[in-house]
Amino acid sequence: MPGIKTYVGIWLGLVVATIMEVVTRSLPGAVSLLALTILLISSAKAIFIALYYQHLRFESWRLAVLPIAAIVGIALLAISSAFSMAMGG
Amino acid sequence: MTGNNEHSEGKHSFMPIVISVGVSILLLGLIIYIPLFVAGLIITAVALLKVFKDGFEEKFSKSKETPEEAWPLEQQGKEKIGVWVFLTSEILIFGSLISAYVYVRLGSSSWPIASQTHNVILGMINTIILLTSSLSIVLALYFIRAGNTTGLKVGLTSAFALGSAFLVIKLGFEWPELIRKGFTINSGLPGSTYYVLTGVHAVHLAAGLVAVGYLMLRAFNGGFNSSKHSGVENVGLYWHFVDIVWMFLFPLFYLI
Repeated sequence: MPGIKTYVGIWLGLVVATIMEVVTRSLPGAVSLLALTILLISSAKAIFIALYYQHLRFESWRLAVLPIAAIVGIALLAISSAFSMAMGG
Repeated sequence: MTGNNEHSEGKHSFMPIVISVGVSILLLGLIIYIPLFVAGLIITAVALLKVFKDGFEEKFSKSKETPEEAWPLEQQGKEKIGVWVFLTSEILIFGSLISAYVYVRLGSSSWPIASQTHNVILGMINTIILLTSSLSIVLALYFIRAGNTTGLKVGLTSAFALGSAFLVIKLGFEWPELIRKGFTINSGLPGSTYYVLTGVHAVHLAAGLVAVGYLMLRAFNGGFNSSKHSGVENVGLYWHFVDIVWMFLFPLFYLI
């Protein structure tokens, strides 16, 4: 399991990433590209919390199957919604 | 079968089933009949108190798994697997809500500019508060694993204070300000999606505060030590999950 330095280092990284998100919002550029960048930063933050604070990095991979299955399910739901929207449904 | 006797002495609780029934009645009552809602609330509260009482008496930790029950996660505690199953259901709830929000938003011809509606600075402060509360919880776990009960108490108390601060900022400052500006749950899809998603998140955070409050009560009564701290770990898993959800709600509502 990680030590205090790792936990605090991750926290610092997450805070910096949050500030980067806010700064990215006001950068010039295509709105969709900025939105994608912000969401990528958010996803990275979520992954770091899961890996280091929820200790998934140090657990059996079998334990991660449960949340990953749920995320895949949600992704399928989102893709089917996007497909439905594209088809005008 | 005699060889299994030691395994069958464990304490098994029906309370999760009672809680499920209570919550179902509560939600049904919310829709059709308020006294039913109150009944559901009472059933849920009583069952939760029973779970807390059993937790205090360490009844769950006495439970031993048979090899059949443990497979394929024999290295993991039963409680931790239960928490992850619960979190999986929570991922489905929030994932569905967020997907619905994205679907509605992408399908709308116009949507208010996030930074003109919401206070980005307050949102950022709240994000940092939640991140810090997660750090507090994980440090509380780190300290109790090392046998440091003072560190545990400080960590839990900090997390409780930070979680409360998040709710105060959200419900005490942000929501009233938005409502004053006419951005209400009835003002259209932007308002209803915002209040539903942040409201459900706030309810989860409030539930987390109850759980952390319970941990504090146990910690201040000497209920944890370096070998007995599964409660801190399991509540921590939930708390970090609530934090992760906010990592997506913040950009979706405040930045994009």
